[in-house]
Amino acid sequence: MNRWLLLTTLILLPTAGAANLTVFAASSLTDAFTEIGRTFDARTGHRTTFQFAGSQVLRTQLAAGARADVFASASDAQFTPLAGLLGPRAVLARNRLTVIAPRNNPKVQTVRDLAGAGVRLVLAAPNVPVGDYSRRMLGAVDRAGTYGPDFSRRALGNVVSEESNVRQVALKVSLNEADAAVVYASDVTPALKKTVRVVPLPSRFNQLADYPIGTLRASANGDAARAFVAFVTGREGQAILRRWGFLSP
Amino acid sequence: MNARPLPWAGALLGGLFAAFLLLPTLVLLTRGLGADFLPTLRSPAVLDALRVSLWTTMVTLVITVLTGTPLAYLLARRDFPGRALLDALLDLPVVLPPVVAGLGLLLTFGRSGLLGPGLELAGISLAFSPAAVVLAQLFTAAPFYLRAAKAGFAAVDRDAEAAALIDGAGPWRAFRFVTWPLAFPFLLEGLVLTWARALGEFGATILFAGSLQGQTRTVTLAIYSALDSDLGPALVLSAVMVVVAFSVLLTVRLLAARRGDGRPS
Repeated sequence: MNRWLLLTTLILLPTAGAANLTVFAASSLTDAFTEIGRTFDARTGHRTTFQFAGSQVLRTQLAAGARADVFASASDAQFTPLAGLLGPRAVLARNRLTVIAPRNNPKVQTVRDLAGAGVRLVLAAPNVPVGDYSRRMLGAVDRAGTYGPDFSRRALGNVVSEESNVRQVALKVSLNEADAAVVYASDVTPALKKTVRVVPLPSRFNQLADYPIGTLRASANGDAARAFVAFVTGREGQAILRRWGFLSP
Repeated sequence: MNARPLPWAGALLGGLFAAFLLLPTLVLLTRGLGADFLPTLRSPAVLDALRVSLWTTMVTLVITVLTGTPLAYLLARRDFPGRALLDALLDLPVVLPPVVAGLGLLLTFGRSGLLGPGLELAGISLAFSPAAVVLAQLFTAAPFYLRAAKAGFAAVDRDAEAAALIDGAGPWRAFRFVTWPLAFPFLLEGLVLTWARALGEFGATILFAGSLQGQTRTVTLAIYSALDSDLGPALVLSAVMVVVAFSVLLTVRLLAARRGDGRPS
């Protein structure tokens, strides 16, 4: 009898204590969440795996029945449509936009140059959160009238590629294939800084991105998933996010 | 052929596997060829993708024939130092993962690549242009033509060529009226396979050429980007690709039969 008890405990213990957690997260969270995952796992004994992609890709996959425990999106537009599948919404971080250009390519010096003749601009596609924010930023420049009323039309005419996530956008500039691109401030990581420079973007044009996070109702690891969300929104998670260039909500 | 009844376990396993191979294609066809097929087919995103794909693959085919034919002829007929090695290495793009091919192209022809500064000086900018799409397709697909053409030139009866030369035909006329027609079914089969591979190109294109509707967004790239929002165009384009793939298979079968190489058609 005692032997059975021991055996049962041995089999159940690992599953009861440590969960295998799957987190779907926006591409821009790649570095910060990888570090958060390592710290969280070390602290709790859970094993966290991430799938990073454009939020719109993750949203489509979740809507099609992909199994995950936590979803962190770069915009509400890709989060609220899944409200029925998700638990309560929390905001994990905020982000701003930034314009980047290759370090050894002087073509783009100011925001005005984005609409200059022959400039090769790369944006994310309109359904990618950062692509949506980028177009709103161009619209804000239009409304201010600083660079003429058709600024955004000319800038969008310079777009040579629409990428499916923000890291692909940044890659095109770091390879010097594009003259400029719009990404999040948090994407200008130490690794990227070696090859790109930041073009000043006046704050009155900038957009503030809210990152919603929630657990999936269908998750088999509800407790661990909620613990992860609590860790991300908690003191330690926020410190890591700030270190990677995010703003606390 | 064996007329004995199959063991039931073998029939079951084989049947399951055949169903696994066929079912996804059937699902794509039934979902894609639904009621919205024609309206979605006429949408700009779908038409642009078809136009970009058709246009770039045609250019790829023309370049493949113009440059691949002489190379295949040399490899099949002439002996030169390093021929065997070159022959083997030219098959490399066929087995290379496409995304690796894309990275290689980027590091060679990109602005910061090996040939980038030279191309820039010459005023040639490949990145994000339809030319980059063509290069990606050429790199990954042309070796299929090369292989088929080599086999074709090797299979041509040398006596027929010799007879033409004795009858007073010059080397060019002997090639044009004897070698070329005899090798033609091989060349055509290689061309069809190259076209199919070029049409399906994805990994190298998205890395090297980017993705912009009407410029560089081919059918496969359009399917990928449509998956994020509206499934409609993705389904319609996928159904079109299934039909195209079926036609390619049929053509290759017919060509093989016409070549009369003993394979059942």
